[in-house]
Amino acid sequence: MGTVEYIQHHLTNNSVGEGFWTFHLDTIAVSVLLGALIVVTAMRLGKQLETDTPGGFQNFVESILDFVSVNVRDAFPGHNPLIAPLALTIFLWVWLMNFMDLIPVDLFPYLFQLVTGDSHAYLKIVPTTDLNTTLAMSLTVFVLIVFYNFKIKGGWGYAKMFLFHPFGKFLVPVNIIMTLIEEVSKPLSLALRLFGNLFAGELVFLLIALIGGTLAVGAAALFWAPLQVLLDLAWLIFHLLVITLQAFIFMVLTIVYLGMAHEEAH
Amino acid sequence: MTEPNKKNSMPKHYIAPSPVANYLLIGAGSMFTAMVIAGFIVGYLLDYLFGTMPIFFLSCGVLGFIGGMQKVRLLTKRLDQQATQQKKDEQNVE
Repeated sequence: MGTVEYIQHHLTNNSVGEGFWTFHLDTIAVSVLLGALIVVTAMRLGKQLETDTPGGFQNFVESILDFVSVNVRDAFPGHNPLIAPLALTIFLWVWLMNFMDLIPVDLFPYLFQLVTGDSHAYLKIVPTTDLNTTLAMSLTVFVLIVFYNFKIKGGWGYAKMFLFHPFGKFLVPVNIIMTLIEEVSKPLSLALRLFGNLFAGELVFLLIALIGGTLAVGAAALFWAPLQVLLDLAWLIFHLLVITLQAFIFMVLTIVYLGMAHEEAH
Repeated sequence: MTEPNKKNSMPKHYIAPSPVANYLLIGAGSMFTAMVIAGFIVGYLLDYLFGTMPIFFLSCGVLGFIGGMQKVRLLTKRLDQQATQQKKDEQNVE
């Protein structure tokens, strides 16, 4: 398998269906499993809560809860019982999905190929390197934004935002298009930012993994093998920051956009 | 040798930049790009509706570009205001 084929193989999803109705089975399976992991862990922790002497894991989870709650307080103007749980879910889920990027790129595809007996079976285990995942999440947030805009501002209040913003009452047609573009750009920027960062990160891991291909050359392995380990370690440490930051940005911008939807119409 | 204590020279009423503004600034670049792309998407849909390809496609792309620039300018202006305020505060203390 050549370099290009290797990269293409790792960036192709295991899918069924055609055209619009293509389902990326690996993306769906991994994201559902990670979501289930959050639910099961939360349920188990909820049953074993200690108020007097909380254990290490409970302390760790409480620190995440505090972190999210502080951010919601800072970035969200009003009170809505949905926002904090939503922000927490987004943060944890996106972080876990991003974390899959740190697992060695060949490990799961190789195991999957062994299990299925198909040496060309596709498997991409990082759901956030699939634009479908990030767009689905951001569109869900977008639906909530529109819902709260209607609920808080009312139909006319929301329509006024389209009619008179940003150029006042004399440029209504332009205002409508501009506000429409602005609204569409919100989920788009959320989705593209997360997808772009994670896809690029995965690609760098693949390029570093390709260095191992030169091991077959012989004596050169003495140079390339340590270099690959070093580069992988460096990128892994840096990427650990990236995955956390991206999960954090997705969460905070969701809070900010929902906060903007909760502002009364002027 | 006496090194000026930076912590003490900080004006008491210094207001740290709002975290919300900072978060939005993190996404200023991608927001600009998204505005341009969103412009083209909205334009394409309008052209599809009215059968006027490529009038709306191009004009909405330009509007997206203008809107993106305006958004980034508004965000960075906010940061400028904070920097100016901080400078004024420091001058007043001196």
